[in-house]
Amino acid sequence: MATKSILVDYLARVEGEGALDLHVEDGKVTSAQLRIFEPPRFFEAFLRGRSYAEVPDIVARICGICPIAYQMSAVHAIENAFGAKVDGQLRALRRLIYCGEWIESHGLHVVMLHAPDFLGFPDGIAMARDHGAMVKNGLAIKKAGNEIMQVLGGREIHPVSVKAGGFHRVPTKAELAPLAEKLKRARDLAVGLARWVATFPFPDFEQDYEFVALRHPEEYPFNEGRLVSNRGLDIDIADYDNEFEERHVAHSTALHSVLKKRGAYLVGPMARYALNFDRLPASIQALARDSGLGPVCRNPFRSIVVRAVEIVYALEEALRIIADYERPGEPSAKLEPRAGVGFGCTEAPRGICWHTYELEADGAIKTVRIVPPTSQNQPSIEADLASVAASVLDQPDDFIRHRCEQSIRNYDPCISCSTHFLKLSIHRS
Amino acid sequence: MTAGGAARSRVLVAALGNPDRGDDGVGAAVAERLAGRLPAHAALLTRRGDMLALIDDWAGFDALVCVDAAAPLGAPGRIHRLDLAAEKLPPELSFASSHALGLAEAIELAHILGLAPKTIIVYAIEGACFDGGAPLSPEVASAASDVADRVAAEVRRLLASDDGPAIIAAY
Repeated sequence: MATKSILVDYLARVEGEGALDLHVEDGKVTSAQLRIFEPPRFFEAFLRGRSYAEVPDIVARICGICPIAYQMSAVHAIENAFGAKVDGQLRALRRLIYCGEWIESHGLHVVMLHAPDFLGFPDGIAMARDHGAMVKNGLAIKKAGNEIMQVLGGREIHPVSVKAGGFHRVPTKAELAPLAEKLKRARDLAVGLARWVATFPFPDFEQDYEFVALRHPEEYPFNEGRLVSNRGLDIDIADYDNEFEERHVAHSTALHSVLKKRGAYLVGPMARYALNFDRLPASIQALARDSGLGPVCRNPFRSIVVRAVEIVYALEEALRIIADYERPGEPSAKLEPRAGVGFGCTEAPRGICWHTYELEADGAIKTVRIVPPTSQNQPSIEADLASVAASVLDQPDDFIRHRCEQSIRNYDPCISCSTHFLKLSIHRS
Repeated sequence: MTAGGAARSRVLVAALGNPDRGDDGVGAAVAERLAGRLPAHAALLTRRGDMLALIDDWAGFDALVCVDAAAPLGAPGRIHRLDLAAEKLPPELSFASSHALGLAEAIELAHILGLAPKTIIVYAIEGACFDGGAPLSPEVASAASDVADRVAAEVRRLLASDDGPAIIAAY
C-alpha cells in the first residue's frame, strides 16, 4: 500500500494558530483535518456573573479583526432578553459601524493575505514590489474602514462606544461629513480592486455547499434577519439549537458546528451573497456581473471577488447611511433589566456570529453561548481540502501544500475567534 | 496620538505596545515620560494594535523614532538602538503579530511602496514578562526613563541635522 502524508505545521496569512494533516492511501485522500491547537479562551465562562453593561467591552476582546461582530451579536441578544428594540438612527449607526468592520477586514484579507496566492507571491510585501499601486489602494480602503470605526467606535481596534441600547456617544452630522469624502474615494478604489481580482486565474473547482446566512426582508444583512439556507432552512435565530449542534472533535480545540440533519454548511461572504443577491442594489449587482460572478458563486477560490464586491457594497451603504443621518436625541435607548433569555445573530465578515445570554433579574449574566463563524466553517474547510487535494494528488507535495493552504485562506479563517496559523502535513500510504 | 502630526512636524515618535500586557507597555511608559518634553516640529503617538496603520501615521514626516518592547534575550531592560539606514531589525527582537503585520513588515512594506520616512531609528527594550494585567518589570520600568531621555535627545539631534531626521523605532 502506497501512503503519503503532507503536513503544514503553521499556515501563514491566517489569523490564529492551526495545522493541516492530509492522509493519502493508494492515491486517494483518506482524511483531511484542520487541526486547531490554540488553547481555549474561556470567554463564555468569565462572562458569568458580570453585568450586561460590561459585555460589549469584554466580547470585543475575542477578536482584534472583528470586534464589532461580537459586540453587535451581544447587544442584540441582551436587548432581546430585556424586550427592547433599538431602531431609527441608532440602528442605522450600528449598520454603519458594521460597514467599517467589513471594509477593514475584507480589505486586509483581499489585498494583503489572499491576492498573493493567485499571483505567485509568498506574501503581500513581496507582491507590493510588482503591484505597488494595488497594495496602496488596498491600504487606503482598509484605512477608510478603520476611520468609520474610529469615528463611531472611539478607536479602530476594540472600539469602546458600543453599549446595549445604542452607543455611549453618537457623532454629529458635521463629524460624519469629512468621513463621507474619504469613503467616496475609497469606493472608487474598491471598484478598481474588484475588477482587478476578477482577472486572477481561478482553479476550476466548485462545491455543492449548503449556504447559511441571515436574510432580511429589505436589506443585505448585517444585524438582523432570519436564518436561511439554499436547502429550505428558514428559522428564527432563537431556534438555532433545533437545527444546529456543536460537536467536539479530537483534532480541534474549536467546536465543529453542523446542521443536525445534513452536516457541513457554509457561512460567510459566499453564503450571504448567494442568499441575498436580490437585496444588493442594482449598481452592486452590475459590478458583480462585470466581475464574472453570477447570482450564486460555488467556487471558493472566487470568494476573493465576492469579498471585493462586498467592500464596494459596504462603502455604498455607509455613504447612504451618512447622507440620511440625523443625530438622535439620545445616544442610547433606556433598558430595563429583567430575567430572561435573549438571542443575537449578526453577519461578521466571516459569517454568522450567534450568541445567547441567560440573564438574572438585575442584568447579571447567568450563562452565555457564543458560536463564531470560523468554527461553523471547519467541516466545510475540511471537505474542501479533501476535494481540492484529490484533484491535485499527481502534483508535487509543495504544489499540494500551497493549494491546500490557499483553500484554507479562501475562508479568511479567524482561528483565534474559534478558540491561531496552520501546519500542513500530508501523509501518503 | 498624544501630539498631533502638525503639518510642520518633521519627526514622529511612535510608542508601540499594549500597556495591559506587562512589559509590552514600555512604549506607553516612555510616551508618558516624554509628554511635554519634545520640541516643536516633533510629534508623539502611541499605538497598540495594527502596525499597518503606522504607514499612514508617518506620512509627511522626515524621520521616525519607534519605541517598543523586544522579546526576552536574557537581559530585561537592556536597550537596543537600531538605525535602519545601517541595519535591519534583527528577527530575534521582533514579535510576530498573529492579527496583522508587525513593525518590521510595516517598515519593509513602506520602503517598497516609497512611503517610508528618510530616517528610521528604533529603540527596543528587552522585556521579561508579557502576562495580561502584569505591571512593568522593575528593570524595564527603569529603562523606560532612560529611553525617554535618549529619545528626547535623539529628536533634538534629528531636528538639528542638516540631513533631516531619521525614523526611530523603539520596541
